[in-house]
Amino acid sequence: MAVAAETTKWSRRRRLTWARAGRASVPYWLILPVVAALTAILGYPIYSLVRLSLEHYTLFELIQHHGQYIGLKNFSSVLHDQVFWHTLLRTVIFTVVNVGATIVGGTLIALLLVRVSGWVRILVTSGLVLVWAMPQVVAVQVWYWMTNFQNGVVNYVLTELHIGNYFEHDWYQTTFSQLGLVTALIVWGALPFVAITLYAALSQVPGELVEAAEIDGARPWRVFLDVTLPILRPVLLILTSLSILWDFGVFTQPYLLIGQAHINPSNYLMGIYLFEEGYLKTDYGRGAAISLLMLVMVAAMSVVYVRKMVKIGDVD
Amino acid sequence: MRSRIFVAALVAVALGVVAATASAGVQHAQASKITVWLQVDAQSGWPDVVAAANTQFQQDHPGVSVDVQYQNWSDHLQKFDATLAGGNTPDVIEMGNTETTKYMAAGAFADLTSYKGTFANSSNWLSGLAKSGMYGGKIYAVPYYAGSRVVTYRTDVWKKAGINKLPSSLAQFNADSKILAAKNKKVKGFSPVYVAGTDWYFAMSFVYDYGGSIARTHAGKWIGNLNSKASIAGLTAWKNFFKTASKAPATSDETKPAPYDVYSQGQAASIIGPGWFSCCVGAKFKTTTAQFVMPSHTKGQPMPGFLGGSDLAVPAPSKNVALAADWIKDFTSTSAERSLQAKGNIPNATSLLGTSVNERAAARSWFVPAAKHWVDVENGNILRNMLAQILIGKLTVQQAASSASDNITSVLNGA
Amino acid sequence: MSSRVLRRGGWNTVGIVLFAVMVFPVFWMISTAFKPDDQINSLTPTWFSTSPTLHHFADAIHTPFFWTDVKNSVIIVLITVAIAMTLAFLAAVALAKYRFTGRKLFIVLMIGIQMLPGAGLIIPLYVVLARYHQVDKLSGVILTYLTFALPFSVWTLRGFIIGIPKELEEAAMVDGSTRLGAFVRILLPLVAPGLVATSVFAFITSWNEYIFARILLNDQGKQTVTVWLSYFLGTSRHQDWGALMAGSTLTAIPVVIFFLLVQRRIMFGLTAGAVKG
Repeated sequence: MAVAAETTKWSRRRRLTWARAGRASVPYWLILPVVAALTAILGYPIYSLVRLSLEHYTLFELIQHHGQYIGLKNFSSVLHDQVFWHTLLRTVIFTVVNVGATIVGGTLIALLLVRVSGWVRILVTSGLVLVWAMPQVVAVQVWYWMTNFQNGVVNYVLTELHIGNYFEHDWYQTTFSQLGLVTALIVWGALPFVAITLYAALSQVPGELVEAAEIDGARPWRVFLDVTLPILRPVLLILTSLSILWDFGVFTQPYLLIGQAHINPSNYLMGIYLFEEGYLKTDYGRGAAISLLMLVMVAAMSVVYVRKMVKIGDVD
Repeated sequence: MRSRIFVAALVAVALGVVAATASAGVQHAQASKITVWLQVDAQSGWPDVVAAANTQFQQDHPGVSVDVQYQNWSDHLQKFDATLAGGNTPDVIEMGNTETTKYMAAGAFADLTSYKGTFANSSNWLSGLAKSGMYGGKIYAVPYYAGSRVVTYRTDVWKKAGINKLPSSLAQFNADSKILAAKNKKVKGFSPVYVAGTDWYFAMSFVYDYGGSIARTHAGKWIGNLNSKASIAGLTAWKNFFKTASKAPATSDETKPAPYDVYSQGQAASIIGPGWFSCCVGAKFKTTTAQFVMPSHTKGQPMPGFLGGSDLAVPAPSKNVALAADWIKDFTSTSAERSLQAKGNIPNATSLLGTSVNERAAARSWFVPAAKHWVDVENGNILRNMLAQILIGKLTVQQAASSASDNITSVLNGA
Repeated sequence: MSSRVLRRGGWNTVGIVLFAVMVFPVFWMISTAFKPDDQINSLTPTWFSTSPTLHHFADAIHTPFFWTDVKNSVIIVLITVAIAMTLAFLAAVALAKYRFTGRKLFIVLMIGIQMLPGAGLIIPLYVVLARYHQVDKLSGVILTYLTFALPFSVWTLRGFIIGIPKELEEAAMVDGSTRLGAFVRILLPLVAPGLVATSVFAFITSWNEYIFARILLNDQGKQTVTVWLSYFLGTSRHQDWGALMAGSTLTAIPVVIFFLLVQRRIMFGLTAGAVKG
């Protein structure tokens, strides 16, 4: 009897530990598909990116499928390239301007959406959605079409409005003007996502809180700083970080809008520099080194974000 | 327990999807099919020539199909590079004649020397084109077709300005441009001769016309030659011509906007570009449009024009070199070349040359340096940049040419 | 009171001006698509064509491979979204409801992948897909799109799942279901808006992606609609702005329709996801 009891007890305990182990393994089973899929697709490419960055790998090696190990030479050649440093500085300024304009603009639109009548809100939201829906490749063509020097509608409108004589004004003449157009295009394309997300977050701000603050005589600016901003902060952090990721490495819009024929070291952005050095000049080793340097820089810029994310991920 | 089965099932499904897609296409390209990459020009311009070649090919090789895939100029090299890396190149590829050298030097193409006899008119190939397919004395690419640049002009506008004789020298052309400009002052943004600011094909013609060149070789090294006296004279003549004749912005290029669009809007008395520009001059001007050869600064001579063109090559990793060469043979047959000629192209052999204006223009031509790294000069926009700087006036001709020349020296020598 | 009305009127005006500026490029694309060629090329722009034409649309639709490429895009996007949502949902549950060793690493991994410079990976990715014989196949493109759809979706979905009150799960568990069973039966309907909001993002990015599709797909019958569109630009010959704008309009339509279908859920979903993010 006692023995029998002992065995049942023991076996139950064992079953319990098994069950516990089983339960403990559940999260691993849950993340397994994602991890497996990403490893299967990206594992080799990432390894090969690192390996390429340490090799002399040009068109010849590409055909032979075999590079020549040269240590850190690719990195040192990139870091000794003046073009790299100029491009980096230009890209950092470009990113700050673009991200700043996107986030500030998006916040303003979100705040506006709270204040307008219902029908205007629907109107503006659907407008934003239309913009969001436009593929980048398409948007670039439309923007080029609107700004071409010969019969671009922008020149026409500016001239008609007597803002100046923009007849046959060439928007692609200086780096400043080129990157200005690219900025306008990128901010325009990014505003919908940012504005709609912020508006959604904003609608969580209890109206009574704002009203109470207003009745207390607080100025709108203070209400925004003390009541609204704290609620928006986590969302703003995510949006800012995502925008930095996207804008720092941006390629499609500047490359297509400025046009291959006008791309040269005086208007490179990092994404384009990578493409020119790695792909157009078919120096894949150098290209890989630039990719990795960009990765490090983006990671450095996102340290705050990553730490915040891990912290958020930890509390629940 | 149920939960674990559930998860396991999901994982299995998920992995199954990945595995299934991963193993979906194990079958290798048999010799039952060859893949051909042509540029879109063939798709929009002469699909009938492609179809005829395919028919001929299939008659000779029953059971072998031809998969023609059309590519864009803007990114076909990057796509080709990817296939070289992945080991799944097409069997035939069309390349621009300024693009081939780098690939031949890297060993990307199969040696076609032994097939030369099978290609029609191969003993009379246009030398400019044939050179772009040769490396180290071997043939790696077959001339496909060429194109030269001519002046397309409005006969009515020229006549109205009182010009009854076509210019026979550059000086005359300059003088005519002044007259055209004066007579059409009322047309906003009017160009006597619209040409883009950074159209380097056009600008380099002046350089070669004055006896200069882009680069020369010395002791096995390439040396940028734009700062030579003759080249500077050419660039200066080009600058003067541009300033009198064209209202295009300094940084504009020859595709945006297309010169024929400017023309069809009535903003230009003439434009410079490939002979086929006459296709798109607009319905209004169709009957009052004609073409002539750009005159040299030496009276009575044509100015040397850039001889653009395409070659056909067989990528080295192709397992069907013989079949591919046979398809090229069918696609560059005399009848195929005659059809290309009828569409305003220059055929690939001197024996087929006619007397059309673009064929006359091809009589004097220049070509880019046959250097392995030439395409990097082109893609790096070194020449365009120099031209824009000259036109904007940021640098003198001498300064801009010297800096571009140094740049070219370092790029061509692979530094 | 009246000052309040006035103020709202002022905001409304700002809103309408904003709408006009934002939408102008979209309007210009559509309006150009309907203009006859001489009006497109004219130096004085026409705002609304008085003689609208459909022939650019006809040209675009009759351009070879339009319908095939639309079909390809639809297949790619639907499968990408379906797989991404399924896999990401599971991982998101793990992140939101379990504590386990390696969780931090997993989070960092998800963020890190989003930082990879896409352009740098083109050739290496091509090589690996060629090895699996995935080049020139829709499945290869789907696999590629998963690499950017998955990390983003995992993270966003996590926000939605966390928002679900514990009591609900507990109630389900008391019923005798296992924890995971509870998740599936009770969580799934609750997370539906989140799934929709997340899939919108995956949908748009996949539908609009161009570079990888361009490199991975050679056969014109296997390409996506953005690649199809690029053929309007690639000819060195005539640039047909009318057909390009008509083609662009057609390309954007499915995304707009998808948006309209799920718009309400997006707003709701984003609300939940955003605050918890």
